[in-house]
Amino acid sequence: MKIAVCIKRVPDTETRIKISADGKSIDESGVKFVINPFDEYAVEEALKLREQADGEVVAVCLGSDASQETIRTALAMGADRGVLIKAEHVPEDPLVVARALAAELEQGGYDLILFGKLSIDNYDQAVGTMVAELLGLPSVSAITRLEVTDNRATAQREVEGGLEVIEFSLPAIVTAEKGLNEPRYPALRGIMLAKKKPLDIKDVELDAGGIEILGLSLPPDRKDGRIVGEGPEAVTALVDALRNEAKVI
Amino acid sequence: MGKGGLIPGDFQPKLPLDKLILGEPLEEERIDVDVLFVGAGPAGLGGAIRLAQLVKQDNESGSGIGDVTIGVLEKAGVLGEHSLSGAVLNPRPFRELFPDLDDSEFPFRTRVEEEATYLLSPNRSRRLPTPPTMRNHGNFVASICEVVRWLGERAEEAGVDIFAGFPAGALRVAENHVIGVRTVASGLDRDGNPGANYMPPTDIGAKVTALAEGSRGLLTQSYLDWQGIRSENPQVYALGVKELWETKRPLDRVIHTMGWPLPRNAFGGSFMYPLEPKLVAFGLVVGLDYRDANLDVHELCQRMKLHPLIRPYLEGGEMIEWGAKTIPEGGYYSLPERRHGDGVVMLGDSAGFVDVPSLKGVHYAVQSGMHAAQAIFTALKHEDASAARLAAYDSLVNDCYLVHDLYRTRNVRLAFKDGFYAGAAKAGLMVLTGGRFPGGRIKMQADSQKPRTVAKCKVFAPDGELTFSKVDAVFKSGNVTRDTIPSHLIHADEVSPELAEFYSHMCPAAVYEAVDGELRVNAPNCVDCRATDVLGPRWTAREGGSGPAYKRM
Amino acid sequence: MPGVLAVLEQRDGVVKRVSHEALAAARALADDLGCDVHGLLIGPPNTSGDGLGEYGADKVLASRDAELELYQASRYGQIAAEQVTAGGYDAVVLAATSLGKDLGPRIAARLGCPLASDVTSLTGTDGIVVTRPVFAGKANRRMKITTTPSVISVRTNAFAPGSHARPGVFEEISAGGEMKPSDARTVAVKAPENAALDVAEAGIVVSGGRGLKEAEHFKLVEDLAQALGGAVGASRAVVDAGWRPHSEQVGQTGKTVSPNLYVALGISGAIQHLAGMRTAKVIVAVNKDPDAPIFKVADYGVVGDLFEIVPRLIEEIKRAKEG
Repeated sequence: MKIAVCIKRVPDTETRIKISADGKSIDESGVKFVINPFDEYAVEEALKLREQADGEVVAVCLGSDASQETIRTALAMGADRGVLIKAEHVPEDPLVVARALAAELEQGGYDLILFGKLSIDNYDQAVGTMVAELLGLPSVSAITRLEVTDNRATAQREVEGGLEVIEFSLPAIVTAEKGLNEPRYPALRGIMLAKKKPLDIKDVELDAGGIEILGLSLPPDRKDGRIVGEGPEAVTALVDALRNEAKVI
Repeated sequence: MGKGGLIPGDFQPKLPLDKLILGEPLEEERIDVDVLFVGAGPAGLGGAIRLAQLVKQDNESGSGIGDVTIGVLEKAGVLGEHSLSGAVLNPRPFRELFPDLDDSEFPFRTRVEEEATYLLSPNRSRRLPTPPTMRNHGNFVASICEVVRWLGERAEEAGVDIFAGFPAGALRVAENHVIGVRTVASGLDRDGNPGANYMPPTDIGAKVTALAEGSRGLLTQSYLDWQGIRSENPQVYALGVKELWETKRPLDRVIHTMGWPLPRNAFGGSFMYPLEPKLVAFGLVVGLDYRDANLDVHELCQRMKLHPLIRPYLEGGEMIEWGAKTIPEGGYYSLPERRHGDGVVMLGDSAGFVDVPSLKGVHYAVQSGMHAAQAIFTALKHEDASAARLAAYDSLVNDCYLVHDLYRTRNVRLAFKDGFYAGAAKAGLMVLTGGRFPGGRIKMQADSQKPRTVAKCKVFAPDGELTFSKVDAVFKSGNVTRDTIPSHLIHADEVSPELAEFYSHMCPAAVYEAVDGELRVNAPNCVDCRATDVLGPRWTAREGGSGPAYKRM
Repeated sequence: MPGVLAVLEQRDGVVKRVSHEALAAARALADDLGCDVHGLLIGPPNTSGDGLGEYGADKVLASRDAELELYQASRYGQIAAEQVTAGGYDAVVLAATSLGKDLGPRIAARLGCPLASDVTSLTGTDGIVVTRPVFAGKANRRMKITTTPSVISVRTNAFAPGSHARPGVFEEISAGGEMKPSDARTVAVKAPENAALDVAEAGIVVSGGRGLKEAEHFKLVEDLAQALGGAVGASRAVVDAGWRPHSEQVGQTGKTVSPNLYVALGISGAIQHLAGMRTAKVIVAVNKDPDAPIFKVADYGVVGDLFEIVPRLIEEIKRAKEG
């Protein structure tokens, strides 16, 4: 089974966000970059499938040179080789990203392509599904369970108030939600081996897309709250405020 | 508690050497390297880079040592995340290690042009002439995190294997010979049982193991204990608490202070360094031989920010990082009598290469790593990693400016053991006479043997803007240690209310709390500063990637 | 005349409330652009489009077929994309639900047009400009859509359903072609696996901290949670003390929650706790220390002994709910 996993280098979620001087992006000084956490679920699932059915796991990443480190993380976890589609800046328009990835993945003859359900910087939850549409492949997004037998697969995804069960045939694309698995940490041996695994670097021409960033801002501070009162006597006023002012009960 | 007060050492457990020095054969499933540096700080990375250079030169010159695998093991998940220093750096060893690079290509921030030293009283400050040892003109303000990350990149370029997120938990030995280390397991639950993500420890075999663990290194201490290696004076330590601030008001100079808020019987001072005009490092360092059991370095650091000299710089700004670390301060007389053994050398802060009068250690760390690389290279060439061969490392260190500097100021820190003013006067003379005054060696007790007096302490209420609680400070250290790992700290079975109180003040990260007279241990808060390892509960290595995540400390 | 197409969701043939929100957003955008709103309703044959005019639909297009009862990605995508092309719409609006987050990208990819997901505000007065949270809600991005058409999914609870008097004219349209065997097919919707309300998912969370003094006193927290129909959370201190399981821990090293109502009982409010709950819509704090940092983020605070306050609160909430 030939499997591709698409991964992205993102600022750590613990990162304190500071807006850069252009007012459109984050100030990257002092920011730690990591492999997108949802992509770790995707990598883990790919590795598990390879353990079951043999084959190859290829980590594909659109990003700057620094993303080589992100690919090495996937290789250290156990992916067999990496492909960096080199772009100075990863566009905020998900369709532009999807087109670039689709062009690469189309060539690969993959049985299964995995993504994280979203990247924790842009929060779009779009690219994997878009790639599937561009390639005309069946796809399921935000899955929490996957079973593959021969060229058929069953996936589950959580929806409001239930679990959808979806059947499809391979080749296909799925995007991974938290809960799909527990991603492994790279082992020492994996890190050593990762250095020797092949990593192709390819150039790409990105199209302009249809989104123009006007600005990035920090969310407004919470409005000042108030002390409703002291002691049990304040309870009536509190319940009244929750009911009639905040309308939460 | 005796009449003389509380003696911390009386309640301090010993290191469990049976778990730290392992004699059984290495696992089959091990990884072998030729040379292993334990700790990716300036010493370990400086050494690894130098060794890679020597190997390359040798292979290029045709004398062909062949492939040499060099590994660096680091407990932080990402390089630099456990590194903390002031720091004003002396660039000397960087120039030697990278002769082709210009100063401007080093990852330093600003060159020191202006500096000022002040003596503080509660509401005033008096400018003092900067002591000669503390003059920094020509040195650079730097973030050690940035320096370490940069050195890590150079090391990887040179072919060094860096393993971040893998703490060394034990030394592997064969008789007296160090043959590698064992990493710490990860994925254990609170009771020590393997969980979903369990990863067993891995043995790493090495012909030479270079211990570059930093201050109060676990394996270094174990090795010294195990081999009975002594020093003329015991090592003594200070605890530093440091914050990084984005300020509204620019700072154009390096500032040091002495005096308030420290009691006269404590040794230390504060520093304020601009990484950028509006990115300011502020910190307080206090010797762990302080007398008042309830002295609290973190809290004093908070109080200091309210002083009229400091406050105007920080007020209205934002504290973006916080951290803490110990510093080995003993100097010349606290150096282990040998810093090498069969298959092993000890570098940098682990060996005690810090000069307190000039507040410097980073460049000595790099330099010691480079000397170690030279000695290790020769040992590899001769296929002989015996103590006799590795003794060349000690000779190189002893014959260079590193130990010469420490010798010149050999008694300065020690002079302060009896209080600040007497110490300052004596220290001044020592510096003027190049260490010849007073002659001989001032004897020093280990910090843990100093009796403490227990006085009532005032409660400090942080405001959350200029001053912070310890728990909030830990958040700012970036610490996201998994809450469910087993405790890595070892304390005495019985802890009296006074002792619990003492620990709770000593620990800057609220790991120890005295709750209704009982000791509570919040192990995940630990930022690996090792203060309590010096005076109380012992520190051992825990799951990789735990602890702080410093970015620009 | 081009317009805005609102793609609506149904369950068992009944239009969901989130789709009223999508209609509200579509209506606001259409008013800015000066055009009509068409609702696109995909569902089983019994799907009803009645009353959608009140929510702002000028027209309701229904694509109904037995196979469309459950969400079938490929068929839904095809129907919506074809309708956008056929109707020459300027924009497609849908709710950013699990369905919307899957369908939106499909429509955008099929049409080769930009997608803006999970937007919290949008205007059409100077081209289409949207605001959406990025970096886990730590920043908001404003962006302009520069090509037509575009697909916009709107965050739940960001747009209040409106009250309009639009015609809502019902029109049956093609239900598209049948699915191919290789297509992904939703075969069932099962009940969720764990019945216990997870603190990270709950709409109301009641958390307890060290102020409860003993593990047994957590009963108060549980009782209040039950009265409110919420989940139980805990501060790190009490989890560390072994009073509560780690799965209930709220905070930086525990779970991040964003409920409509968060009640903090005896929690002082260390930053590491605040990091896990500060995006809650309404925060209530009960603490005996008036200087506790939790009061800085709380919308409503009560100072005092929680052992006196909470039982009374439980009582009054029960009464309020009954009454």
